[in-house]
Amino acid sequence: MTTVPTQRFVGTSVPRAEDDRILSGTATYVDDLQLPGMLHAVFFRSPLAHANILQIDVSEARSLPGVHAVLTGIDIEALLNPEAGSPGIWMSENVQFPVIAITRVRFVGDLIAVVVAESRYLAEDAAELIEVDYEPLQVIVDAATALDPSSEPIFEDLGCNLAAEPTCNTHGDLEAVFAKADRIFSTEIKQHRHQNVPMECRGCVADFDPVSGRLTHHGSNQGVGRSKTTLAEQLGLEADQVRVLCNDIGGSFGLKIGASREEIAVAAISRHLGHPIKWTEDRSEHMTASGHAREETLEVDAAITEEGHVLGMKVRMVCDTGSYPALGRHLGAIVERMFPGPYNIEALQFEYVPVVTNKAPYIAYRGPWAAETFTRERVLDLVANELDIDPVEIRFRNLRSHREAPGQMVTGRTLASCTARESLEALLNEVDFDSFRSEQDAARAEGRYIGIGVATYIEAAPGPRNDVDLGDETLRVRLEEDGTVSVFTSQMPHGQGHETTFAQIAADEMGVDFSQVRVVVGDSDLVPHGGTGGSRAAAMAGGATLHAARNLAERTREIAAELLEASSSDIELSEGTARVRGVPASAIQLAEVAKASLSDTPAESQSHSLEIEENYKGGQGGWSGGTHCALVEVDVETGQVRIDRYVVIEDCGTLINPAIVDGQIRGGIAQGIGAVLLEHSAYDPDGNFLASTFMDYLLPSTTEVPRMEIQHLESIPNDPDVNFRGVGEGGMIVAPPTLVNAIEDALTPYNVMITEQHLPPQRIMELLQGMQPSSK
Amino acid sequence: MKPPPFEYLVPETLEETLEALDGADDDVKLLAGGQSFLPLLSLRLARPSLLVDINQISELSWLRVGENQVEIGAMTRESALEHSQELRAAAPLIAEAMPLIGHVAIRTRGTLGGSMAHADPAAELPAVAIALDATFSMRSKARGERTLGAQDFFQGYFTTALESDEVLTSIRFPRIKPGAGHAIAEVARRHGDFAMAGTAASVTIHDDIITEASLALFSMAEFPLRAETAETALVGSAPSSKLFAEVADLATRDLDPPEDLHASANYRRTIGATCVRRSLELAVKRAKGRA
Amino acid sequence: MTTSRDISFHLNGVSTERSVNVRKTLADFLREDCGATGTHLGCEHGVCGACTILHNGEPVRSCLMLAVQADGTELTTIEGLSPQGELGAIPRAMKSNYAFQCGFCTPGFLISIAALLQDGNRPDERSIREVLSGNICRCTGYESIVNGVIAVVAETEASES
Repeated sequence: MTTVPTQRFVGTSVPRAEDDRILSGTATYVDDLQLPGMLHAVFFRSPLAHANILQIDVSEARSLPGVHAVLTGIDIEALLNPEAGSPGIWMSENVQFPVIAITRVRFVGDLIAVVVAESRYLAEDAAELIEVDYEPLQVIVDAATALDPSSEPIFEDLGCNLAAEPTCNTHGDLEAVFAKADRIFSTEIKQHRHQNVPMECRGCVADFDPVSGRLTHHGSNQGVGRSKTTLAEQLGLEADQVRVLCNDIGGSFGLKIGASREEIAVAAISRHLGHPIKWTEDRSEHMTASGHAREETLEVDAAITEEGHVLGMKVRMVCDTGSYPALGRHLGAIVERMFPGPYNIEALQFEYVPVVTNKAPYIAYRGPWAAETFTRERVLDLVANELDIDPVEIRFRNLRSHREAPGQMVTGRTLASCTARESLEALLNEVDFDSFRSEQDAARAEGRYIGIGVATYIEAAPGPRNDVDLGDETLRVRLEEDGTVSVFTSQMPHGQGHETTFAQIAADEMGVDFSQVRVVVGDSDLVPHGGTGGSRAAAMAGGATLHAARNLAERTREIAAELLEASSSDIELSEGTARVRGVPASAIQLAEVAKASLSDTPAESQSHSLEIEENYKGGQGGWSGGTHCALVEVDVETGQVRIDRYVVIEDCGTLINPAIVDGQIRGGIAQGIGAVLLEHSAYDPDGNFLASTFMDYLLPSTTEVPRMEIQHLESIPNDPDVNFRGVGEGGMIVAPPTLVNAIEDALTPYNVMITEQHLPPQRIMELLQGMQPSSK
Repeated sequence: MKPPPFEYLVPETLEETLEALDGADDDVKLLAGGQSFLPLLSLRLARPSLLVDINQISELSWLRVGENQVEIGAMTRESALEHSQELRAAAPLIAEAMPLIGHVAIRTRGTLGGSMAHADPAAELPAVAIALDATFSMRSKARGERTLGAQDFFQGYFTTALESDEVLTSIRFPRIKPGAGHAIAEVARRHGDFAMAGTAASVTIHDDIITEASLALFSMAEFPLRAETAETALVGSAPSSKLFAEVADLATRDLDPPEDLHASANYRRTIGATCVRRSLELAVKRAKGRA
Repeated sequence: MTTSRDISFHLNGVSTERSVNVRKTLADFLREDCGATGTHLGCEHGVCGACTILHNGEPVRSCLMLAVQADGTELTTIEGLSPQGELGAIPRAMKSNYAFQCGFCTPGFLISIAALLQDGNRPDERSIREVLSGNICRCTGYESIVNGVIAVVAETEASES
């Protein structure tokens, strides 16, 4: 019989286990590490966007006192496994490139050489002495040039500048749908390049022990397993010869996944020189070279009715994936499948064209597929304006309800228990639109321009079980000899509070105090394979923790039952003890139970083992989602935007730790605000990167991010046990269209139609320039 | 990025400093607050052979408020000026600039003289000096002390009249008179950022007529500009929104401001005019309050 | 050509003597030579504020100072706000308000908050946000941090009344 415990910790905002060390300054981030004999690596990076390397002279650099080595691409290649594929976790079988460039550099910041010295200061001195002869090549920084067949292929292997063969898929009866439409609404939606910018840049300390032949790699990463696999492969080591350790991580948002080219090089150098080697990326390197995201343009033809029903869409998405293969090549498939969202769209044609350019690689950034929500929510507002229909009303005319028969997106994803429509209904209880419209009219009469914007979305966190392989989540729990509970997870927290949330779940199942659970992360010798990403932690690892801990509780009760000479169905776990229900005096400490299991005979020991491994396949999965609403004021004399109110209706199922959930939502929204109003990873026509410092790449601060009103819907349980769903990416996905919708609404008297995501003050003035407000 | 190698000197007196600069090469640099200089050093855009740290020279840090003027030692910290009630009463334009300069931690170290000598065209303090016709005192071992008016001090993009062997010692501002009002209006991307455009304004009103006007536009050219034509149009007129709008247009329409990632020339002109207008409105309002 | 200097100063109340390279920044010096890795480097441009420490009681960007400039000064870092690992009042209030997530910006915030609340200062939310706009956080959206500061102010008011 499976006992479902009382929830004491799940659902409460338990203070975070991580906080004591973070707040006392004793957390350990990778740059804090100092190992005996440690040396420092600095990368010499390309100042040109596209060039052949003719000659490299490192002789002067090598002879500088304090320099231990200067290695070029050829030197590094000789240290690596020749059988290994090209570095990188995103499949790139058809493109060969070395870890450090040998013959060609492909973006400003590309890797040319590595200096290893006694200090970073000295290494930088030496790096300045490296001389390189280049043969400049055609610089390609826009999709049109990339698609021009006469342009220089940035990768000879590809023969052109398409990162992958373009795809074009049709779902539903497109022809019929377009034929029955009243009209076709066409537009082109543009997202601009911006990036993750965690507060901690990338870095590692690679420590190869020549005696054991083992590499211990200290990293800052979303999953030790993936790094380990890459490092083992690239260095030609057996998997058990590599141990990856991650301690505290200063944010990532999708950036720090797998071992980077720099980390591979540093690991190889550690083996070569017999010293631990530290590499810490500085902020300028980070902005320039760690990777960017979101640069895509979507041409849309929407088949609509006069009543504002969006029957079908034809979409052509062109994505600027930068140079080296990364996520950008594969993004289209994800966007395509998500594109209909929670709406009744009957047909979709989706073409994806990923282009290669001389820019930093396109990497994963919180909600990488966000273009589907931005485009769809923008198009809805544009169509609403075109047909003179209220933007909230048009959404109601198109949104599915969970009360309807479980539906499917025309792309095949099921929409069971999706409450997007309900979240919009709930929003109307929080925001009085009629009252706002009166305020808006009054403001306009005074020459002030306020606006309101709404956007609805869903995110696969992790998504419905039956249409996607969620991948298993393996997790172990163990009752220790001292009565504490250990949870071994592949999840790698970097701000999301996993050490806290999984402990809450396990504590509830095992009847122990929250402080008696230790969540073990960040050691590839100890934790299962896997990692954090795709908003999987809450559902997948939360679910795995729940089931593993529940099984552990069951096993514990069985052993306790033997000790207490009772039936296991009469045993309850409570307050760190096992006892016969109704007989408090019978209680024995869990430590006793643990010790008893260790002294079992070999025959018994396996079935009595208090270490349980759970291979969780994901339960029923489900969607998270909701509706966001922003109220803004636009200063039409300067183009500056102020957000006066931001309301969130969110459904992410059962909340494990409400404070942590709200924190994730707010952080994502802040990044969305940054994207629209401040952040731009800009290049000039020569491929020079223009946003390499925080003076140029502007992040939102306390004066740009407002308070947010967050309401959680009680969701429809989809699964008997695991109804936690992820929430990490949603804020960042839906905040940009929410804001842009609000800004356009504010500027209605100016008849401004906005089809882009980046709206700094100058851009807003350009949209307004020459346009006098109408009296409408 | 880390600073390149350099020699380092920490003189305790002005005299010691002047001695070190005397006859030295151009690549000897003074280190004042370091808030503008350290980033350049770390990015290796500045490569001095010798860095002369003048933060220990107490004789350069002082504030004297007199009947007609305010004199400030070049090494006086921005935070000290920000919190001086005396200064706020005597020269409100300087006090008003302070909270606009970066953030608290920047102002703890940043100095008045350092900001002036750095001469960032987007900075507030040089514009304040230009608006108030401040006088700059500087000294070298070879030639002793000399003074320059603000308009002669600022010569170009991050360039002043300071010779490589000179130290800026103090700056003198006129004290605000009855009937005068000071105001700064700027447009920045975020609180504390450099302005994309700004105006430092001083206006004097007697019997509802503008008798004196000074408009210093910053972030609109290589150094802060006095909008002299606009000032002329203001003097002798009665303040009105219509006048401010006309003057704002007059002050900006022929300018050719710089372009960067944040602002095009066209956008700068547009918001530059807005800043002129807004600063005038506020300065006039304050002038009326001080009548 | 590059020289070293001997400096002596107080770090979190402890008298300290070191020999340091003149070009080394104060932030690097604290992290590498003084074992005070609590202070973090987020940009080295003076913008993000993660490196903020107290220098003679006032907040400064330690990435914009040279280590040699610490000579004869009193420095306070995040470690100093929680002596012997016991969380001080400000960090405690931050914990109760779930203020931080990844923790990388935290040292600069705690110091800036300590400086803000010195001398019995009781800022309102607007002032709190203005002053803390010099510290960048990428995880939280700031509301939880602001709530923590408001809580400290309220606690102080309560204990004084």
